[in-house]
Order: sequence, then structure tokens, then C-alpha cells
Amino acid sequence: MALNPPLLHTLLILLSLSTTITSSLPSQSLQDSPPYLWPLPAKFSSGDETLSVDPSLSLTVAGNGGGSPIVRAAFDRYMGMIFKHAYNRASSLLTRIRFLSMVEYDITSLKIIVHSDSEELQLGVDESYTLMVSKNNELSIVGAATIEANTVYGALRGLETFSQLCAFDYLTKSVQIYKAPWFIQDKPRFQYRGLLIDTSRHFLPVDVIKQIIESMSFAKLNVLHWHIVDEQSFPFETPTYPNLWKGAYSRWERYTVEDASEIVRFAKMRGINVMAELDVPGHAESWGTGYPDLWPSPSCREPLDVTKNFTFDVISGILADMRKIFPFEFFHLGGDEVNTDCWKNTTHVKEWLQGRNFTSKDAYKYFVLRSQQIAISKNWTPVNWEETFSSFGKDLDPRTVVQNWLVSDICQKAVAKGFRCIFSNQGYWYLDHLDVPWDQVYNTEPLNGIHDPSQQKLVIGGEVCMWERMWSTREAVSKGNITLTALPRLHYFRCLLNNRGVPAAPVDNWYARRPPSGPGSCYAQ
Amino acid sequence: MRGIATKISGVAPLFLLFIAGAVSAFEDIEKLRIWPLPAEVSHGGRRMYLSEDFKLVTEGSKYEDPSGILKEGFDRMLAVVRLSHVVSGHRNSSSSGGSALLEGLHVIISSSTDELEYGADESYKLVVPSREKPYAQLEAKSVYGALHGLQTFSQLCHFNMKKKVIEILMTPWNITDQPRFSYRGLLIDTSRHYLPLPVMKNVIDSMTYTKLNVLHWHIVDTQSFPLEIPSYPKLWNGAYSPTQRYTFEDAAEIVNYAGRRGIHVLAEIDVPGHALSWGKGYPSLWPSKNCQEPLDVSSDFTFKVIDGILSDFSKIFKFKFIHLGGDEVNTTCWSTTPRISKWLKKHRKTEAEAYEYFVLRAQKIASSHGYEIINWEETFNNFGNKLNPKTVVHNWLGTGVVGRVTAAGLRCIMSNQDKWYLDHIDTPWQMFYANEPFEMIKDEKRQSLVLGGEVCMWGEHIDASDIQQTIWPRAAAAAERLWTPYTKLAENPDKVTTRLANFRCLLNERGVAAAPLVGGGRVAPFEPGSCLAQ
Repeated sequence: MALNPPLLHTLLILLSLSTTITSSLPSQSLQDSPPYLWPLPAKFSSGDETLSVDPSLSLTVAGNGGGSPIVRAAFDRYMGMIFKHAYNRASSLLTRIRFLSMVEYDITSLKIIVHSDSEELQLGVDESYTLMVSKNNELSIVGAATIEANTVYGALRGLETFSQLCAFDYLTKSVQIYKAPWFIQDKPRFQYRGLLIDTSRHFLPVDVIKQIIESMSFAKLNVLHWHIVDEQSFPFETPTYPNLWKGAYSRWERYTVEDASEIVRFAKMRGINVMAELDVPGHAESWGTGYPDLWPSPSCREPLDVTKNFTFDVISGILADMRKIFPFEFFHLGGDEVNTDCWKNTTHVKEWLQGRNFTSKDAYKYFVLRSQQIAISKNWTPVNWEETFSSFGKDLDPRTVVQNWLVSDICQKAVAKGFRCIFSNQGYWYLDHLDVPWDQVYNTEPLNGIHDPSQQKLVIGGEVCMWERMWSTREAVSKGNITLTALPRLHYFRCLLNNRGVPAAPVDNWYARRPPSGPGSCYAQ
Repeated sequence: MRGIATKISGVAPLFLLFIAGAVSAFEDIEKLRIWPLPAEVSHGGRRMYLSEDFKLVTEGSKYEDPSGILKEGFDRMLAVVRLSHVVSGHRNSSSSGGSALLEGLHVIISSSTDELEYGADESYKLVVPSREKPYAQLEAKSVYGALHGLQTFSQLCHFNMKKKVIEILMTPWNITDQPRFSYRGLLIDTSRHYLPLPVMKNVIDSMTYTKLNVLHWHIVDTQSFPLEIPSYPKLWNGAYSPTQRYTFEDAAEIVNYAGRRGIHVLAEIDVPGHALSWGKGYPSLWPSKNCQEPLDVSSDFTFKVIDGILSDFSKIFKFKFIHLGGDEVNTTCWSTTPRISKWLKKHRKTEAEAYEYFVLRAQKIASSHGYEIINWEETFNNFGNKLNPKTVVHNWLGTGVVGRVTAAGLRCIMSNQDKWYLDHIDTPWQMFYANEPFEMIKDEKRQSLVLGGEVCMWGEHIDASDIQQTIWPRAAAAAERLWTPYTKLAENPDKVTTRLANFRCLLNERGVAAAPLVGGGRVAPFEPGSCLAQ
């Protein structure tokens, strides 16, 4: 659970570095350096050729899914990113030389082969791809890059990697691919690679959420965990209970049903699932602005009133409305930080507890389990914060996914009991904790202490600011000194984000979300 | 924090104001959600809806929009109006619109040219009817005035959460508007940190929302030389890295992008003091290897390079002004370098005289390329009577110089660092708002020599990650000072807090990372809360 809203710039900061890096970093020799790919692909090989890329690169598609509009739209987006420098073909030295000698660009088309025509986006969808970039040879007259994937979402990941191979060369004023030929075979290590945003503590305009989703795709993250509502505000339209969004901060700080659908659509075009969260019963005070009956009493407003069927009717109504918007198989029901004092102090709730012979902890369990069954009846898999597991783990529906935040070994315990788990340890992966340096974020390992392969499989991934570890193989990321193997690539990736207009903060500030310490190169800060 | 929160927390107090009616004229203005405030506004109490196929019509306009500046501006306006929510309610002429339906905007422009000329008429007149007339009307002398009118129109439009359509409240509207000053600038610095093209374009787009019209591009300084200069192709060896550069075409694209939005680009080379990075490509521009600044005053090559740069500039930077810097010149390297100290002796010049000689010779070169010159105020303070009489003096040190410059008959731009330097992050928006260019000048003739002002976003601690939240919303406070008639400005800036907070939230809705009002610049929100209350 986030205590502060992660703002756009916080998300993208990879926090600080305690060791001092002095000015002149890679820059001069992109050709000689390790591949500046982030996150690092599972397998790759490269050569020593430099290839030029045609600014009017064409797209050819094949396979059952090649014609998908998702592929076409992604290709157009990436063309804009790859060729963002003003292009004056006549003045380009390379163009002139090539024109005179009638030689063409090395790479004139990108071929995308997608085997499956299904565009269904769910957890565990095949995101693997292979990417080949080579000069034309005897076998093909036209030089080409080829992406082959089983699904359109694998093709999207391949396009991202392709775009990171493309670099603008200022001498020839053309886009080049260094160290070709490239052969990359890639797939994610974890199927759940998430980032949480919180629209209750502060409203985030739709366009801002879209910018975040777009930048997530650059780092191959695939789940936007949308913590929609909390005690501070209820910004979401719920047609079944239209007074709920009276709990918004103002009438302008709200999402309509159509806004939410648009966010889901926008995310899907980028291969990103949206997991909605209602955090019950503890973080829900704002619900009562529209329906005061949901509060235990006007003077004691949290958690939601456990005694009333109306409370569960509202939850059911919200979930029915949300089911039409959010197709992802997971729904997050929160369940953290439940302070039950209001239940004990409010007469009618106290009487209800006594009537059922419930302790307040029993009531908490009752609430969570009843909510879980509502979610399951709507064909959702419930996700809950770890307190539910640590308080009454054995009673949770076995389909429950436990999301860690407090204790570092909770996933270890949860998978031992056969639950799936999402790792988000607050010590390292909470972006609102601004004093965690990037290398600690990077070194945090979701599988620490879990040795049984069948249990490892139950750790479906992690969430928040953990770019690379979620994608790359464990071997690849932990090899050697990360200041050498990862930091230059991270600098490069941060500058790439900046070049795409994403306000990613300096990597090596001691404290996150701080301005650059002084004049200097993006690659050195 | 608390004071503001109670003033505007929640919506209820605003609504009460609407209903009450019996409020003073000033408060009446403040409930209008328009920034900067137009010269003349009147409105009614009805409501119009925008048709889902809202059209641009131009019958009777003398301007034929040969390169699509108006059409693009209209499309951008509709896009930002529709950006914050999905418009899913149906409103069109055949269905539910009725007499409250606004089918389009009728734009009438009386000048046929689309040349962006400094000082040209930027006025516009906007009428939004209340009933029976299906078109709003926008009249302007030039297409650039019309673009300002489109910005104002976009701020009248709001999303109706129940009907899920765009509406305009308080119709009919009658707005007559024009800027108070012709020069309304924002400085960005691409030498201390490189700013990628998409970031510069975002800044330009956000400038249009507050009707600023000059992007002062401090391209080069001591730290790096990021721009390609075809005449001297090694100059951009002084870039931080091979990738942190602008091609000549990139710079032309920035000028074009800004120009199509009615924004001039003022290019600056800051000579001779802030130019160390020039010598990375051409070391002979340095007095010596270990004394690298200012540029070598004794060598003709120095002036040849300046001539080459300005000659290249004249092909892409079409603004009538060029900025030649001239500030903070420490001439020690000149007298400690034997070759130059010899030259000084030979020409019987003190260091100060050599500085003057350098600035004046650079001015002559710039004039020869058809530019009018802007220099930082030290040039005026040291040898004001020798400056080209068409020189515009750019203030930064203190406020007094504006009075002295205009008394000397020169033109002036105000950027006093205590109020209008955005990199001073502890300067709150209220000080930006209250900084009055005419404070020291009562004489009208002298007032006419003040072209306007500029807020400066120096780049020592600014890169792509934090530029927008350091600029906004404070630059907007200055933008109203520069646009709105003096008589309409609030004497106490706190009076405009609600309206500025609303504008800050509008910037956020449009994807611009404007920081909260409470506190200085670039603050993170202090606690959970409404955008309107922070």
C-alpha cells in the first residue's frame, strides 16, 4: 500500500546511487560498448557491422495475427520514436552518397510474423519473440529486420527491442543499428510485471495515466495496478451506485466509465493489463460520502460497516460495473491495514459481533472472504494484500493471489501453502520511498529463499519499479559487478526515456526525484 | 497550505458564488476560469453544448490558410478540449442538440499573410452565442491573433460529467482581447543540460496555453555546444556526447514548430564570456589551453566564427532579434595570456575596453546579417552610450536598470532575477505575478520602450525530468502580468489563487507536469488532496 501517490517522475526514477560516478561515461563509443538494451534480452548475439535504417521503413506482416491493428498501430508509434529527429533527406550526407551510387539503405523493411490471431490479453500470454537484423544477402534481395512471435503481444516486445537498437547518427544524419547482425531470442522471466498507481490520494488526469502506460511499455512492464479508490477520494463512476463518485475531490476530478474503458483499451494496445483495486474494508472511507450508511457511524467512518447486507450489495454492484470495463482475470480486493476500532465502538456493530460470537478479527476475515466470493462469482481471481494471508491464510480461497508489501519473506510462506504471490517489498520496491538507491531496487530478488521449482513458479512476479529483474534471466542480471554491467545501460535507458519525452529523473542522485546536481551529460547523471 | 485549502477546498464554495450573484466585479472576474485574463469579458448565464462534429468555417475571411496554420490550431484546440475525458454523449444537429447546440466556430481573419511578425496585431474578438445561433464567432486581424482566440475558447469549454459532452457555461460570451506587451518570453538553456526535441516541443505547446510568444533559446554556454553549425562543423564537438545534439534541421524544425503556434524563437550565443565549449572543436578560440574563457579577442578567427554562426543562423532563425549575451565577462585570461596582453598593449586597450570592442564588433556582425540585437544588461551598464542605438537591453541583475535604459532611449526587456528567474525555486508564484515592468517608469514615452518581459529557466539543475514542473505554474503568473491590462490585474496576488489553481489543474489535465501552487517552485504535493486546493 502506498502512502504517497507515485507521480510520473517518481515512477521513472531508478533512484539513487551511493557511489559517485564522475562525468565522462560511455558516450563516445556506442559501437564498442555492451548492448544498450533495457531490460536485457534472455539470449542474444551480435556482430560488428553498422547498418542504416530507411526513414521510410516499410512494414510487411505474415502469419495469422500479422494483420492485427495492434501491430500496425505499434509500428506507427515506434516509427515516430525512431525517426524523431527532423529529417531532411536532401541534406543527409548518407542519402546523397547513396543516391549517387544508387545504393539503398541496409534495412528497408521490417517483417513481423505473428502466428496466433488471438488478441486476448491475459496473464501468462506468450510474450516471447525472436528478432533478427541483418544485411541483405544471397537469400534475400531486400535488407530486413524480422520479428517473429506467437502473439501480437510478443511482437510488441520485439518492436520495443528493435527501437532500442536504432540510434540516430549525427554525422550521417541517419538512423543506424550498430553491432549487426543481431539475433535475439527473448521472453520474460515473470508473467506479472506490475506498476501501481494511486488515483485516490491525488487525481491523475487521463492523459497522465496514458503517459505512464506508454512509458511502462518501454520497460516491458505488463500490469498497471490501478488503486482507484481509498479513504481520501472516490473518483470513479459506478452506474449501479451513482452517488459513489460524490466522494471525488471535486466534480472535475473524476473518471467516467468511458474514461476507464479508454484507459483499458489504450493499455491493451501496448500489451498492458489493467488490474483494478477496491481496498476493502479498511481503505474505503470515501465511499460513505455518497452513501453514509456504509460507515459504521457518521463519527466513525472506517472500515466499511460489516453488519449490513447493503455494504456487500454495493461491493457487488461496483464489481458488476467494473467487470464490464476490466477484462483482466485478477481483481485486487485490498484488505490491508484494517483498524477495527470503529466496529468495536459502534453500538449496532458491536451488538452484531456479539450476536455472532465474532471477535473483530473474525469479522475482518468474514468481510474479506465474503468479498472474495463476490469477486469469484463475477469470474475474477481475487488478489489481496498480505495481511489477509498472515491473519487467516488457511481460510482464503485457494485461488487467491497474495500481494506482499510488509514482510520480506511473505512470498516464501505463501507459496509454501500453495498460494500464488506477487512481490512488492516496501523496503525496496516502493517508489514513494525516495531514499532507496537504484542498485538496491535492482538487486532485490523475488525468489530469495525459495528453492523448490514448483514453489518458484507460484511467484508470478512483482510490482512497482523493477524494470529489468522482472524480465531478464536471473543469471544475466546477477553476473558480475552491476556498476559495470547494469549502470551504463541504465543511464542509457534513462536518457532514452528522456528522448521520448518521459521525465525520468537522474539515475545517480542520492535521493530520488531530485533535480540534477549540476550541469552535465544525461548519460553521466 | 491551510489557508488556501480552506478557501477552495471542495466545490461548494465556488457554486455558492455562482448562485449568490451579488458579488463585486472583481470577484466576478475571478470566478471565470480563464488564464490569462482577457482585456474585456462579459458573459451571461446560459449553457451551450459543442456538437460532436464541431466545425471550423471561414467564410468571409481574407486569410486562406495556405499552410494550414489555422486548421492545425483548430484541430489542436479540439484535441485538448477532448483530452481529459472520453466524449461519449451524443450531440449533433439532427438529434438532441436543439437550440443550445454549437455546431462550429466561424473564424474571420482580415489579414491574408501568415508571416509571423514581431509586434504585429495579436488581438481577437470572440463571441459565443447563447441560443439560436449555431456558430461562435472569432475575429482577428492575423491568424496568430486567432490562435490566441482559440486558446481562450478552449478554456471556456468544460466536460459535463453527467451528459458526457463538452459544454460552455455562462453564455453568451463577449470577449475582446489583446496583449499588454509585445514581448512575452521564456528562456530555456540547452547547454547546462541537453533538452530532447520532444521536451522542447512540450514546452512550446504549454507556452501557447498562457499566450507567451517568445522562446528564448540559450543554445550554447560554457558547458556544452549542442547545435550543428554547417560553416564550422567541429563546433558541436563541444556537445556532451555524440547523441546530445541538435542538427541544423532539428533547429529549423523547432523554429517551424514554434512559428506555427505563433511563437518566435530568439537564438542566443553568449559572447565573449559564456563560450568555453566553442573551443572543444576549435581550440584556437581559447586564449590558451589552460585559460579557456572568454573567447580570444585578439584573433580575427574568433569573429570569423561568430560571422559563420550568425550567417548560418540567419537561414533558420527568422526572428528579427538575435541575442548576443555579453554578461559576466571575466577578462583575466586576456591579460594573463601573453599573446593577448601584447595585443591589448598594441591597441592601447584596457581589458574593459577590449570587452566593449568585442561586444560592439559582434553587434556589427549581427547587424550585417539583418538582425536587431539584444544584449544582457552589463553591456549597457559598462558602455551603454556606445551600443548600437537599436540595441534591446535585457535586464537580469536588478530592477533599476529598466529606468536607466529607457531614460537613455534604448529598448528593454525585463527579467530581474529576484522575481523572474525560474531556477530560483524559493521564489513563489505570487512574486512572479506581482513583478510590474512599469513600477519605476511613469512616463508613457519611456514605457513604450519596455518591450515586455521574460521568465528564465536556467539549466544548471534542469533537465528533461524536471523542467515542466519548475516552469509551471509560476511562469503562468508572469504571463498574466505580461498579457492582461494593468487595470485588470490583482494588486494582491492572493486574490487570483483560485483561478491560477484552476489553470494549474488544466495544465495537468493536458498532460503538463505543472507543480502545486503552495510553496515555491517544483514542489511535490504536501499531502493527499484536490488539485484545486494545492
